[in-house]
Amino acid sequence: MKKILISTILALLVLSGCAGEEKKVLKVFNWGAYIDETVITEFEDLYDVRVIYDNYDSNELMYTKIQSGEYYDILVPTDHMVERLIAEDYLQPLDLSKLSNLGNLYPDLLNRSFDPNNTYSIPYFWGNIGIIYNKNTVDVADLENEGWMVLNNPKYADRIYIYDSARDAFMVAQKALGYSVNSTDEAEIEAAFELLKQINETTRPIYIDETIIDNMITEQKDLAVDFSGDAAYIISQNENLSFFVPEEGTNIWMDSMIIPKNAKEVDLAHKWIDFMLDNEVALKNTIYVGYTSPNISAFETVTGPGGDYEGNIAYQPRMDNPNDEVYKYDDALKEVITDKWTRVKAQ
Amino acid sequence: MKGYASLVKPYIIWMSLFIVVPMLLIVLYAFTTSGNELISFRFTLDNFFRFFDPVFIKVLLKSLEVALITTILCIIIGYPIAYIIANASEKSQTLLILLITLPMWINMLVRTYAWISILSDGGLLNSLLEFIGLPPMKLMYTDFAVMLGMVYNFLPFMIISIYTVLAKLDKALIHASHDLGANPLQTFLRIVLPLSLPGVISGITLVFLPAVSTFVIPKFLGGGQYMLIGNLIENQFITVGEWNFGSAISLIMAFIIMASMMLTRKMDRDASENTGNEGGKLW
Repeated sequence: MKKILISTILALLVLSGCAGEEKKVLKVFNWGAYIDETVITEFEDLYDVRVIYDNYDSNELMYTKIQSGEYYDILVPTDHMVERLIAEDYLQPLDLSKLSNLGNLYPDLLNRSFDPNNTYSIPYFWGNIGIIYNKNTVDVADLENEGWMVLNNPKYADRIYIYDSARDAFMVAQKALGYSVNSTDEAEIEAAFELLKQINETTRPIYIDETIIDNMITEQKDLAVDFSGDAAYIISQNENLSFFVPEEGTNIWMDSMIIPKNAKEVDLAHKWIDFMLDNEVALKNTIYVGYTSPNISAFETVTGPGGDYEGNIAYQPRMDNPNDEVYKYDDALKEVITDKWTRVKAQ
Repeated sequence: MKGYASLVKPYIIWMSLFIVVPMLLIVLYAFTTSGNELISFRFTLDNFFRFFDPVFIKVLLKSLEVALITTILCIIIGYPIAYIIANASEKSQTLLILLITLPMWINMLVRTYAWISILSDGGLLNSLLEFIGLPPMKLMYTDFAVMLGMVYNFLPFMIISIYTVLAKLDKALIHASHDLGANPLQTFLRIVLPLSLPGVISGITLVFLPAVSTFVIPKFLGGGQYMLIGNLIENQFITVGEWNFGSAISLIMAFIIMASMMLTRKMDRDASENTGNEGGKLW
């Protein structure tokens, strides 16, 4: 009996081994909780392939893994990281003729400065950075009058979260002081550094990662500097919360799908990108994730009457403020900023 | 027997490939410059000099302080527990030790996450306080939260080290002490405590070393501004991308750990000399 059992198992193993060899494998590396996982299964069924789906929680972590030689067919980095990967020759040009759903996207969101003509990248989600606040405990007038400087208001001491990311934290300080986020002027960076240290002392913010979402939904703090996409989801879960983007300006970011040079399934990777651009798939993803979709139909459905993000202020990032900027990739600037951010946190 | 010796070979190959080579790489990174490319590097000591910056030294001192307090708290809490377990009936000893080790079957990350929901504002503990009419307390992202997480995670190591020694203690020595007129306190201070020191010392090693380099607990329970040396290293590798500097800090850390291990080993030796080498040995 035992022998039969063992040989059956072995036979099954051999058979499944064969089946596995025939199926193509697509390796996708994306941000954590950045997809409705049912669409992965849909894709697998549609093309009879297997998808290996891994998560990361920062551009830098993704970059470190790629740099160490790990291969993926699809990555979803943010604009400045796309720029860096292009500059360092990690990406291959896309065959746009294979992307039949490209017309589903807002034309305004294509041909962005970090990748003109979308030679290498296709938008996945986009948004900006602002302040999530509790309508019951925060005076909106404070936000309107002080802008980003509200973070330095002793009234809100011990009541603030800031998303722990060097460049975004510096963006807040640079914009509060009226500088450009891409400024390489040493005096300006030093001033931003001093301001961050001052904020650190005055209001003692907590620098936090993705746990910010749960913590804000449960109203553990009153103010939080976070991405608009997180904000949209948080607001949809708790109506006491709202989102404010200071007039002084903010960062507009875009996470885009790209195919690295060392990808093994280039054709299938194009199919994946095209699948993500599909109206139904984009709708599922944006409902699940809460980030702003570049897909016209998905955007209109969720913001339209009865939509999941109807009237949700954070879901519709502004496009008309001249102070809003996109990060440019600059290795030297990045190094200075990350070093200084470590020093702010280690105070 | 000779034939079996060759069985160790795969293990040696495995060890050298996955433990020795990565460590050599860290040493190489620590003493070189120019990013992560191993092709074009040059030797330097800059990475070590960079560490001698008041900000980083403060981080190091803070890590040592936190690890030290954790260790002391683990001894204060762990010793009585180990003592009680060692003196319980045989049957309950097994059960009690099982209860102590049980939480360790669950991943440390998950257990630390559980503490977040217990300690957070409006969390389990604060709801309880509210329920009995007390004002809520700020627990999350404080020294207290980090300390609690550390002691909670490392306490079992201390209890088990001390218990192992206490359980093997020759009961005849205690009876003899009583027969010779010593009261329970005297017996404990002059017989049990000195003989159990080897257990305490291995407990210190098992608690202090991981505590000084941990980065998950301060990150989760202390927030991003609660920076210990482990967080600094993680930061250098993952966020900053400065593998050379990160490796240098790791080496400095390894040096401190080695020094403290040598110190505890010396203490261990002194302790067994003082008790005439008759103490309950841990292993």
